[in-house]
Amino acid sequence: MPPRICLYFQIHQPYRLRDLRITEIGKGKTMDYFDHDKNRSVFRKVAEKCYLPANRLMLSLLQKYPDFQIAYSLSGVFLDQCEEYGQDVLESFQRLAKTGRVEFLAETYYHSLSSIQDTEEFCEQTTLHIRKIEDLFGMTPTVFRNTELIYSNELAQTARLMGFKGILAEGTDHLLQGRSANLPYTPPRFRLPRRKEMLIARHRPLPQRSENISVLLKNYRLSDDVAFRFSDKSWVGFPLNAETFTDWLLGDGGHSVNLFMDYETFGEHQWEDTGIFEFLRTLPRIWQERGMKCATPSQVIEQWYENNRAEVGQSPTGRRSPEGESTPLREKRAHERKTAGFTLMPVYDAHNVISWADTERDLSAWQGNQIQTSALKAIHALGPLVKATGNPDLLRIWRKLQTSDHFYYMCTKYWNDGDVHKYFSPYDSPYEAYRRYSHALCDLRQRITNATPFPRRKRRKT
Amino acid sequence: MFGWEYPPRHLGGLGVACQGLIRGLVNQNVKVTLVLPFAADGSEDQIDILCPQEHHIQKIRVASLLLPYDSAELYAQRIQSIPRETAQIYGADLGHAVHVFTETSVEVTKHLQPDIVHAHDWMTYEAGLRSARHHGKPLVTHIHATELDRTHFHPNEWIYGRERWAFEQADHVIAVSNYTKNILVQHYGINPDKISVVHNGSDETYHADTAPTQITTMSGKKNPMVLFLGRLTIQKGPMHFLEMASMVHRHDPDVQFVIAGDGHMLPSLVHQSVKLGLQDCIVFAGKVSSDEARKLYTQASCFVMPSLSEPFGLVALEAIAQGTPVILSKQSGASEVIGHAFKVDFWDTEKMADCVLTILRETPLASQLTAEAPRVLQRLTWENQAGKVVSIYENLLRS
Repeated sequence: MPPRICLYFQIHQPYRLRDLRITEIGKGKTMDYFDHDKNRSVFRKVAEKCYLPANRLMLSLLQKYPDFQIAYSLSGVFLDQCEEYGQDVLESFQRLAKTGRVEFLAETYYHSLSSIQDTEEFCEQTTLHIRKIEDLFGMTPTVFRNTELIYSNELAQTARLMGFKGILAEGTDHLLQGRSANLPYTPPRFRLPRRKEMLIARHRPLPQRSENISVLLKNYRLSDDVAFRFSDKSWVGFPLNAETFTDWLLGDGGHSVNLFMDYETFGEHQWEDTGIFEFLRTLPRIWQERGMKCATPSQVIEQWYENNRAEVGQSPTGRRSPEGESTPLREKRAHERKTAGFTLMPVYDAHNVISWADTERDLSAWQGNQIQTSALKAIHALGPLVKATGNPDLLRIWRKLQTSDHFYYMCTKYWNDGDVHKYFSPYDSPYEAYRRYSHALCDLRQRITNATPFPRRKRRKT
Repeated sequence: MFGWEYPPRHLGGLGVACQGLIRGLVNQNVKVTLVLPFAADGSEDQIDILCPQEHHIQKIRVASLLLPYDSAELYAQRIQSIPRETAQIYGADLGHAVHVFTETSVEVTKHLQPDIVHAHDWMTYEAGLRSARHHGKPLVTHIHATELDRTHFHPNEWIYGRERWAFEQADHVIAVSNYTKNILVQHYGINPDKISVVHNGSDETYHADTAPTQITTMSGKKNPMVLFLGRLTIQKGPMHFLEMASMVHRHDPDVQFVIAGDGHMLPSLVHQSVKLGLQDCIVFAGKVSSDEARKLYTQASCFVMPSLSEPFGLVALEAIAQGTPVILSKQSGASEVIGHAFKVDFWDTEKMADCVLTILRETPLASQLTAEAPRVLQRLTWENQAGKVVSIYENLLRS
């Protein structure tokens, strides 16, 4: 059987900061940190170039090819911006959802780094996101996709305890060690510290924890052939057509080829005139001709279990289990069938945190220098204080400032040698990013202090 | 090579840059003969330094009025303040010196057999050109500062004309930044294909132990200090520094300011600083030696270079070499090479003030700027930059 094709697209827009000034700090209760004109104009630009035309194309493909299926993770702040700047975009996603062949994944609402900073906040943001997806699309996500594919063994266990049956990760070479990325993997099994397990149980977004969790790995070579190299004229594969790419997919084999990428690949990173939309339009036809099917992440996992259940369901002699088996034996068989797929899964052992960012595939894009680590520390230090105010506005602002992009803009990895072309940011420089961010933080800190309902004072002894 | 000023007799970046470049070239086995308008004080033993002697000058029958040029800005300023038609008569000092230098250039270099003639800034261009023609060799004009930079785009037409004519005549032009290259293309109409950018270098190195300390005031309290260092002329933007200072002062009265450097704007700057109420927190340090400058950089919490138009701005490299966070005018060449810094438009003094206050408030920011900015110095050595000049020479000799 040819591998399934698992298409997953990330869609996210941050709330960029405006040119805040120190003189504004502490001046008003309603000071707005965000650059709405900029945010609107970026959103509309990407909507016209990518979201709307790509969604139109996806809808027509879904209608035409019954085996075509896709998955999205839409960040909560993206959905908020849809409500502010693009009801048309939101509606186009809702039309896709109505086809029943689009899966929406869970993530942190604010596209934050809370998974590595604050477990309680991480659970709360994931819950917020799940509720939002339920409200807008009428379905409950069962597979988790962390911000920028940040992943570790610990996170996988956390997600399992939160109730997810699957999680996405980057298929990095040093962890795969020559194995294929095209199989579901399992994290090493271990217990989290009891305190953390209880914390997760208290804030669990889904009704019950999962017994097992599968890790779906991004096939980064084939994904990046489309996302990064499609229009690269110096690339040996240029120009890439749908037939050749399908050959590559087939040649890669395995259970499923997981193509994970930014949705902006279509029309924004790769402009329309590169032929990217034509490429996408042709793929499902060729897949159909060659008997290839798509599967969403949760289907990839389910189908793996089904396949392996079928295999284990066979008795050693190749006959079906006889009906006369005793009850304990039948139960044993049932348990075997249930866990069969899981025990056959290879282990993906990510002791250190990985991500899909840059060539390093680690956290250095967000916490690789002093200004980043100090900004991260400062925003998370405000957590208990902002929650103590019980003020939903302050809580929302605090969370918007957790969006990972703010820290990404402060990255100086590629800032030496005047090499700025690798710097994707709305600001002039990482230092400008920090300047704006630190002003927002100072003001928010003051507002939180002022808003604390019962300021703690030392009682005078009378 | 035709130069104008040379350490120890120099006023600005031109002399420093010439010296750095020549040392770099010598290290690359280029034999350099430097022609200067005045006798150098024997500071260099690896190069021959020539200057017009009595007998050269007598031949052209011009009285020797060779002064090391005090400052082209001052000159331009004087020229500007008088009617255009009398300007040339008034430019006696510098104009005459240039004239003498030009008239003797062939005479002085007649016995040499150069492969390339290289001239620095407009004062030497005609001399360079005459010498190049005499020897039948290619001319490289190196531009460290244009007349437009010095005068904030109100040039002395005569100087501007000479610069333009020399760029047109030259076989190749070296600009100290892309910023300057753009000026040559846009305002002088020079073909961009014959302009190469070779940023200035620096032989400074940063040692972590020179981390900034703060000025201790009489009360013993540590106060942050913000530094300006440069000639007090319109080009360097000292008025913008004062504007920025007054905004910082309003927000944080503890901040001290030091303006180091000399120039004709000093009286008006003093007057303005009093008017802005900065008299108690600002120090005019006058012209400082390089040792004193280094000490000031070390003491400063941040260095601000608000130049209106700065072809390069070597002071910025000097500041980061001492571990001082810098805020640079976007209208400068240095901002092209220094990544770890704040860059603002020179007119946006409000943002400049904001950057200063952010650096003072945010310790991690200041410490990152201190640690990261000097990395550029490893790349921008004079050795490397002279290597680029050598390859320009080689290309010229091949074609």
